[in-house]
Amino acid sequence: MLKIDHLTKKFGSLVAVDDFNLQVGRGETVVLMGPSGCGKSTTIRTINRLVEPDCGSIHFAGIDITKLSEDELMATRKKIGFVFQHFNLIHRLSALDNVMLGLVMAGTPPEIARYKATEALTKVGLENHLTHKPDQMSGGQQQRVGIARALAFEPELMLWDEPTASLDPILVREVLVVMEELAKYRSSTMLVVTHELSFALHVADRIVLMNKGKVVEEGIPSQVFVDPQSSIGQQYKELIEYQMNTSALTLAGKRIA
Amino acid sequence: MKKVGKYLAKCKRILTRSILKNTFNRDLLMLLIVSIVIGSLVSSTVSYSANAYFSKTLASLVGDYGEYDILIQVREEMKEDSAIQIQKIIDDTFQGARLKEGPTLTGKTNFFIALPDQYKTKQTYENLGKIFGSIPGGAGAGVLTEPRLTIRGVPEGAKNMLMEKITQMEGVRFVFRDGSSVGVIMTSLDKTAAVNAQIKSILNSYQVVEISFPVGAEPTNPIRLGEAIANDMQTQLKAEFAQNVSIDGKNDNMTYMVSTMMELKRFLVAYASQVFISPVAGIKLTKGDTVVFQGSSANMPTVGSSPDRGNVIVAVTGIRSDGVAEGTITQGDAALLSHNQGYKLINNIIGDYVGTATYQNPRQQLGSALTETTKLVGQIPGFAQDSSNMSQIALSALDSYGSNIGTIEKTMQNMQTAGNAIQSATSGLANINTSAIQNQLDSSSRAMGGLINTLQVVRLLSPDVSSSIDNLSSTQRGLDQIKTGLNSLDHVAADARQAKSTIDQVVANGSSTLASLREFDIAGAKSNLLTANEHLAQLKQLDVPLITTQLTYMAAAAPNLKDEEISRSVAVLDQFIDGQAIPGQRIQILTTSAISTDAIAPIVHNQIGHDNVSLYSSALGVIEPNTRSEVYQLLNEVKAVLAAMAAIIVTVLFLVLDHTAVMTVIRRKRLVNKTKVRGWRGMAVRVAITFTAPERQYGMMVGAVMLTAIFVISGGGIPYLPWFGVPLIGAVLGLLVANYAEKISPISSEEVMAGESLGMSFDEIMREIVVPSGRPGLLQKLNSRKVKFR
Repeated sequence: MLKIDHLTKKFGSLVAVDDFNLQVGRGETVVLMGPSGCGKSTTIRTINRLVEPDCGSIHFAGIDITKLSEDELMATRKKIGFVFQHFNLIHRLSALDNVMLGLVMAGTPPEIARYKATEALTKVGLENHLTHKPDQMSGGQQQRVGIARALAFEPELMLWDEPTASLDPILVREVLVVMEELAKYRSSTMLVVTHELSFALHVADRIVLMNKGKVVEEGIPSQVFVDPQSSIGQQYKELIEYQMNTSALTLAGKRIA
Repeated sequence: MKKVGKYLAKCKRILTRSILKNTFNRDLLMLLIVSIVIGSLVSSTVSYSANAYFSKTLASLVGDYGEYDILIQVREEMKEDSAIQIQKIIDDTFQGARLKEGPTLTGKTNFFIALPDQYKTKQTYENLGKIFGSIPGGAGAGVLTEPRLTIRGVPEGAKNMLMEKITQMEGVRFVFRDGSSVGVIMTSLDKTAAVNAQIKSILNSYQVVEISFPVGAEPTNPIRLGEAIANDMQTQLKAEFAQNVSIDGKNDNMTYMVSTMMELKRFLVAYASQVFISPVAGIKLTKGDTVVFQGSSANMPTVGSSPDRGNVIVAVTGIRSDGVAEGTITQGDAALLSHNQGYKLINNIIGDYVGTATYQNPRQQLGSALTETTKLVGQIPGFAQDSSNMSQIALSALDSYGSNIGTIEKTMQNMQTAGNAIQSATSGLANINTSAIQNQLDSSSRAMGGLINTLQVVRLLSPDVSSSIDNLSSTQRGLDQIKTGLNSLDHVAADARQAKSTIDQVVANGSSTLASLREFDIAGAKSNLLTANEHLAQLKQLDVPLITTQLTYMAAAAPNLKDEEISRSVAVLDQFIDGQAIPGQRIQILTTSAISTDAIAPIVHNQIGHDNVSLYSSALGVIEPNTRSEVYQLLNEVKAVLAAMAAIIVTVLFLVLDHTAVMTVIRRKRLVNKTKVRGWRGMAVRVAITFTAPERQYGMMVGAVMLTAIFVISGGGIPYLPWFGVPLIGAVLGLLVANYAEKISPISSEEVMAGESLGMSFDEIMREIVVPSGRPGLLQKLNSRKVKFR
């Protein structure tokens, strides 16, 4: 489905993505993890060329995205859903219009677009918030609108750029629920950038750990987090252990000194 | 060729894609066109409104173009009486004229008079002062008739010439003296340009050369001097035209009257007695001092008292280098200076004795000269006769001069021949050694004497030798005679050589003298003598009695003035001359423009006797801009400036409201892939990017195009700003706005990125996301037709 070879992106002297390679199969959920500033978001944004890569290739559905013309790129982007960390909703438009916008611009008749948008919003539990504008909704609801907007295209690939990073823990859950459903029950192909360990553990088919723009470890969650081969993996393992212990103690009614 | 074809194809593609298709670029083009149209309308409206207001105000002040002919200004408080009087004058003088009361400005009320056509004449306009002179309230009258040209700066003396030339031009109705200027009324407005050009041509073909004198070096009679310089320019420089135009008087008669007075003054001053006061030791007189002499008074001036009428008073006018004071008599006469002790007069009180005076009385000298001349004239007939006689004698002498020279020449030749003969004759003598012969003769004589002595002894013995002794004695005497003869011969040779030498010298001197005599121009001398004879003949024909009578009369008529009278007359003349407007410090000569001041300078210097003057050249006159035209021109400029200001404001507004969002999007696109460069290269890049960043280029281009178009359409203009300054200002405005575009119109990069992620094109993003969220403006209005999600 997606094959990234030797992808590199520099910002001046800063190498954000350094010879990055990755393959994502159809229906696979790959979680991209790593410390802040390691190049995760840049990597995921280069896939639909929201950020132009310097070199390397990105093959999606058999075509090299880096070679596409402007018109071809726009057509390809419609096949790739993108969920932003900060939702990136159009503030002057309602939830329904936000979802419809892309569809209508893609040439979908307004009625059909409306239907699809309503359906997408219903899927994320916002059927009662169709006319609400972003500033009338919570962060979780806004992100769900963002997810609905991406889903409305029925994309072949979903890219998630830290979708819960801007949400408080309670709102995170409602987003994760949607994501889990999409991953587990709809078999969507997803590449997710997140710091949510639980999501990675429960949903990811594969974990890719990055540091300083490079892939440092890659594997299934049990392999990466139980028997990590990299220092980053080791840190994640320790974090999981810490969280588990903390949760257990908390549940046992004890407090950590 | 292939490249050009490719380039054209590319341009066509861009044009098709950007303009012809329904793209946001076409929206921008439409926006630009609509902005220009609206901006031009706004600018034009603002400028035309202002212009209309000011024009209306101006028309209410001075009437429409050509509506009125005469403007009369009176004091505000007298306007009612003035209006009545003006109306009366109009009724009496200009039947059919129309009077209108105009606005009152700064205490002056304006009245406008529209004259019937038949009254629009040179005579009327040159006599406005007289015609309206009776209006109370200190009225001033001026000409408003249009079309009109006014020429100022024309020297008074050149006005007539200029007016005559202008009057002959086609399209000129008449020319008149408009105060110090020359007014030209034309037959119609369309003739103005042609007449203007012709007048300019005349003004350029002449120049006024102004000769300025420093204070203290003014000419005695500038009028006379100006005329002399003008004459010299014509004769020496072959100037086609040169005229003294420095007369500023109202009319020539008065000017020449003053000129005459100046000459009179000069005449009087020339005949005033010059008094020379030699100061006593320790006294120093200065210019301006006054010295009193006894004159006809019975007593010597008394120290401490005031002078009386009989005293002679002398004003010191200068001090010579030897200390002697020169002065003129202000009271009394030089003839009364028999008592020549002078006393200084201070504040009309007689002071100390200062010195003795001598004087020269030119009048007395003139009388004497005339008397002597009369005597001389009486001698003329006798002198003429004597001279004539002498001339005849001289002519006879000249006639015989030639033959005399010939005789002398012959004599010289004879003498030369004689000398040669003498030389030839005595040359044999010169070869004889007379001394040796004399010595031999002397020796023989002495030997013979010894023999004789011997024989006389022998005769005692033998008386037979007596005869021998006698013979010998006789021989000895013969020898002595020969010796004596040889001596004489020697003298003859010497005398002959002397004679030859003398003859040679005489011949040489004679030849030299003859050469000199031959050089004498006998014919010329004769001719001169004949001419002299003719003159003498004329002299003889003189009416000597008449001349004598006239000289006697002149001697009697020579200024019979006292010095006091001269001084007072000069003072009166000075008062009169000073009261006239004849400039003493400058002379104006009107001449053709072909002559340079450098060429004129020597003539001026020669005439005035020094070079302490300045020469300037200026145009004959200047066509004065028509005040009304100037005001309208000013209004047009104000209108253009207002249009320009409005255009600038509108451009800034459109740039801010409509284009900053576009600039921000362009900037964002640029920054997405921005590569940071550090160091001096980074600084250079940052400086370069100030002008080359795409959003700034866009701003400069839009600003330049918009402002230039609005300027052109609305007739905007800024004084001293060249045409290329307008797009430059527009570009600068665009650059400034682009610099602050993101602050003015911040756009949500997240929204734009969302649109991009949804596969929306740039046009769609602009129409659906950026513009609707941007500042309300023309672009938003135009976009509302295109936007799908309102």
